[in-house]
Amino acid sequence: MAVTDSPRTVRVRPAVARRPVIGTRHTRATASRVAVNVSLLAFSALYLVPLLWMLLVSVNAHGSFRLSVPSPTGENFRNILNSDTTYRPMLNGLLMCGGGTMLCVVCSVLAAYPLSRFRSRLRRPFLYTILFSTGLPITAVMIPVYSMFVQVNLIDSMPGTTLFLAAAALPFGIWLMKNFMDGVPLVLEEAARIDGANAMQVLWRIVLPLMWPGVIVVTIFTFIGMWGNFFVPFILLLSPEKLPASVGVFTFLSAHDQTQYGQLAAFSIIYSIPVVMLYLVLARRLGGGFALGGALKG
Amino acid sequence: MTVTAAAAPTAGPRRGRAVGGLLRGVPLLPAVVLLVIFLAGPIAYCVYYAFTDMQLTGASGTHFVGFDNFTRAFRDADFVNAVELTLVFVVGSAVIGQNTLGLALAVLMEKAAKPVRSITSTVVIAAWVLPEVVAGYLMYAFFFRQGSLNAILRGLHLPQQNWLYTLPILAVCIANVWRGTAFSMLVYSAALNDVPQELVEAAEVDGAGPWQRLWRVTLPVIRRSVMTNLMLITLQTLSVFGLIYTMTRGGPGNKTETLPVFMYQQAFTSSLIGYGTAVALVLLVVGALFSVVYIRLLKIEED
Amino acid sequence: MRTRLLAATAVAAATTVCAATLSGCGSGSGGSAKTIKVVYQQQLNNNNHVQAGFLEPMVQQFEKANPGTTVKLVPVTASENDYYTKIQLMMRSPATAPDLVYEDTATINSDVASGYLQPLDGYLKSWQEWSAFAAPAKAAMKYAGDGKTYGVPDDTDTRGLWYNKQLFAQAGIAVPWQPKTWADVLTAARTVKAKVPGVTPLNVYTGVAAGEASSMQGFEMLLYGTPAANDSLYDGKQRKWVVGSKGFRDALDFVHTVYGEGLGPSPQDALGANIQAAVGTEMIPQGKLAIDLDGSWMPNNWIRTGPKPWPQWETTMGMAAMPSQNGQGSGKVSMSGGWAWSIPAKAKNADLAWKFTRFLESKANSAQWNSVNATIAVRTDVAADPTYLKALPSNAFFTALVPATYYRPGLPAYTQVSSAIQKAMESVTTGQSSVDKAASTFDDDVKTAVGADNTVQGAR
Repeated sequence: MAVTDSPRTVRVRPAVARRPVIGTRHTRATASRVAVNVSLLAFSALYLVPLLWMLLVSVNAHGSFRLSVPSPTGENFRNILNSDTTYRPMLNGLLMCGGGTMLCVVCSVLAAYPLSRFRSRLRRPFLYTILFSTGLPITAVMIPVYSMFVQVNLIDSMPGTTLFLAAAALPFGIWLMKNFMDGVPLVLEEAARIDGANAMQVLWRIVLPLMWPGVIVVTIFTFIGMWGNFFVPFILLLSPEKLPASVGVFTFLSAHDQTQYGQLAAFSIIYSIPVVMLYLVLARRLGGGFALGGALKG
Repeated sequence: MTVTAAAAPTAGPRRGRAVGGLLRGVPLLPAVVLLVIFLAGPIAYCVYYAFTDMQLTGASGTHFVGFDNFTRAFRDADFVNAVELTLVFVVGSAVIGQNTLGLALAVLMEKAAKPVRSITSTVVIAAWVLPEVVAGYLMYAFFFRQGSLNAILRGLHLPQQNWLYTLPILAVCIANVWRGTAFSMLVYSAALNDVPQELVEAAEVDGAGPWQRLWRVTLPVIRRSVMTNLMLITLQTLSVFGLIYTMTRGGPGNKTETLPVFMYQQAFTSSLIGYGTAVALVLLVVGALFSVVYIRLLKIEED
Repeated sequence: MRTRLLAATAVAAATTVCAATLSGCGSGSGGSAKTIKVVYQQQLNNNNHVQAGFLEPMVQQFEKANPGTTVKLVPVTASENDYYTKIQLMMRSPATAPDLVYEDTATINSDVASGYLQPLDGYLKSWQEWSAFAAPAKAAMKYAGDGKTYGVPDDTDTRGLWYNKQLFAQAGIAVPWQPKTWADVLTAARTVKAKVPGVTPLNVYTGVAAGEASSMQGFEMLLYGTPAANDSLYDGKQRKWVVGSKGFRDALDFVHTVYGEGLGPSPQDALGANIQAAVGTEMIPQGKLAIDLDGSWMPNNWIRTGPKPWPQWETTMGMAAMPSQNGQGSGKVSMSGGWAWSIPAKAKNADLAWKFTRFLESKANSAQWNSVNATIAVRTDVAADPTYLKALPSNAFFTALVPATYYRPGLPAYTQVSSAIQKAMESVTTGQSSVDKAASTFDDDVKTAVGADNTVQGAR
């Protein structure tokens, strides 16, 4: 409908509207609204195609890279829903990435507070150092990390891997968090301080409630990064029963196995569920998902 | 801990401030401890490795070789190719792709009806929260010769291509735009919220068209968000590895072999740890250079 | 005033330290004298648990026969490259070194050079059955530097020409077919092209995307068939890589001819990442490919449990040995790879690891492994075993190639030389460069990779 409507209405638009009459102005506004809506919907449809392919193939008995109507089957899911392929790796991943994310977020909130509130000569160099370190691919440091983990007997340990994941996510976390915190006005804080609140109380009662969006963004960002990280757990964990889902997924998906499209798609869906859930749960707290802090102003 | 805190008030004003200064930094401790132990140490080792001929297999000892790895890199046609591709990838997919598309979406969504807005944001964000390898796999399926893109083009009677063979760098750029635009969109949506409505309306009354309003009013107001967003997505895009590796493994040939992929191939496929880490350090420098440019631009604003 | 902030920080810091200490406790591996850790690669394919399915009962039998011993299997799920990275890291330190490791024959020498493996000569001396192993396979386990043996191979593969008898009949070529020279192969391909339209006459893997398949199934099957044979890529006597040889250009010229004359798949297909799967599961079963220069494992695609069940392959497909360039020497060429069991230098319990190896490599168990895994036997007594020969109709043919097969130079630089080969092949396949230009680029690449003083000029 909308598609056929829009060109006609658009044509009504006067070429020059120096002194707009109320009527034409109204039509123009409607016309551009329709155009905006239509183009956004068309764009979304195009954006959706790859996701749609994944959904269709996962329930298709004879999947391929072609987009096709499925001959429905639950076989693909049935094949992968077992302890070795799915449940245990997912649980491991949730433990490590969940723990790592929490540790990272807590540490970056704590670290962001002094960085955002107090002046110091060391502040700028510190911030730039951690900012630049985000440019280093983590694969590059894994060899020394392995040697180090062997020496301190942290190799093949899930808590050890969790700590490293948290540390690797920290630079970006601190940097983002500090920026979000900068956006929280000082005025309220000063009032609370005059009332005798200490720094921890100020941070917890005044600053944090005002920057939940920021905390949530950092949480989501950190978790997505860890959840997709394949190389770190692959190198640091030796026992197969400790490996998280990302290791299996990475090896399966990057092999483009020609014979198991359906299973790979089903696995991709299962594997994506935790991140999607995390987003849905947290975005609800954001009230619609649009509050990616105006504080990202630099 | 309690002791030092209690001691602070009794100390003289100067000492008090010094202790206070130190105390203020205490919340930094957990982060700093983690960073120093788990990142600073290994990175220092990497810097050392970059000046050695370390191999994971094939040689018994490790020798200091000075700047050999770096001079070798700059004479290596594949390395130069990787640097060029990295620049194309960062500029094409992040600076131009994600940034522009994110801004366009944010602007359009402000004007759109509420259901359309939710649909668009849901779809775009869904692509963002997908794990990197899954996104890579989906994009591979999308661009594959018998994949969805060619099916759509065939439906529209447009010429088809074997995208991953003929235009692989474009394919991985689009893949990165597809996956990463949500971040810019969210940043700009938030930033646009803060643009005072009166300013826009005033410009409209003065007869400024939509483009002029965007260029003259909105962008100057949100310029700091633009710079910060650019810096973040640049750094993120520079180290993209899983997406490209899943889609093309750097091929065909080395047509999508950006620096992270090149580094991985050298360090782990050819087992040249020394050379690989040297490449990683170059990548670090490239990231720092980009950041410095953005920071400078922000600073000029401040002055 | 700031006590609570301090306290919170302290708690966070303490948690960090605690977690670090605690986690240390769980990870100490019990290195008791009766326990060994065995590391092998779990295939990427989710459904392929052949090796696990073979090893698990073996472990049970072994533990029953040797009361009090424990064999811990540690599969590493990864691509081949990542598997190497992982086991090399593990072997670097005594704390994580396994007692027995599954090694690709192509990386053994490289790992020996790094000091990761220990020689097995002491054990082999008192093991009668070692004499049953085929000579080329044994030679591939020897490290050139000290002449000692570092692994016990448990399977191999050989390579040759697969051809479609029905397409040959349509083209009027007599079967069974056994070309005597490269020219015979090309003639057959040209005949197919002329007589049977819509069919790809000849597949030779090429280019970077197909990776090692290009180097080994494609290029080296040609190169080792030139007069220099085993010294055509790496001169074992001088211990130098060969550059600038006529043989190299001839082999490259063969590839150039195949793709230049349109005898091969379209360059787009040939250079795509899917070519191997496409050949095995589509082109051959659909009767779209007349001749394929490929490996002994091809029937794994077509057996009942394979990705493309195709029982008719037994009557449709014929096998021929790849001829040497002009029919010189034994007249045929084959390349081999395969895997072997090795004991890391830092293994805690080498004796028990050896005992387990010997158990795995007994005649009966080897035969079982070669049958379930559809690999070619390296033990000559297994090669004559009727159950093994019956497991796949093609086993007899490919096993007969074992005595005349070549192994790749198992040197660390090989991966780099191999990628240089793939680049050279790719550029003549696309027609981007001439054979001479591609060959000289290869020479430069090899000199950069291994150093010019480690190369030697081949016969011009």
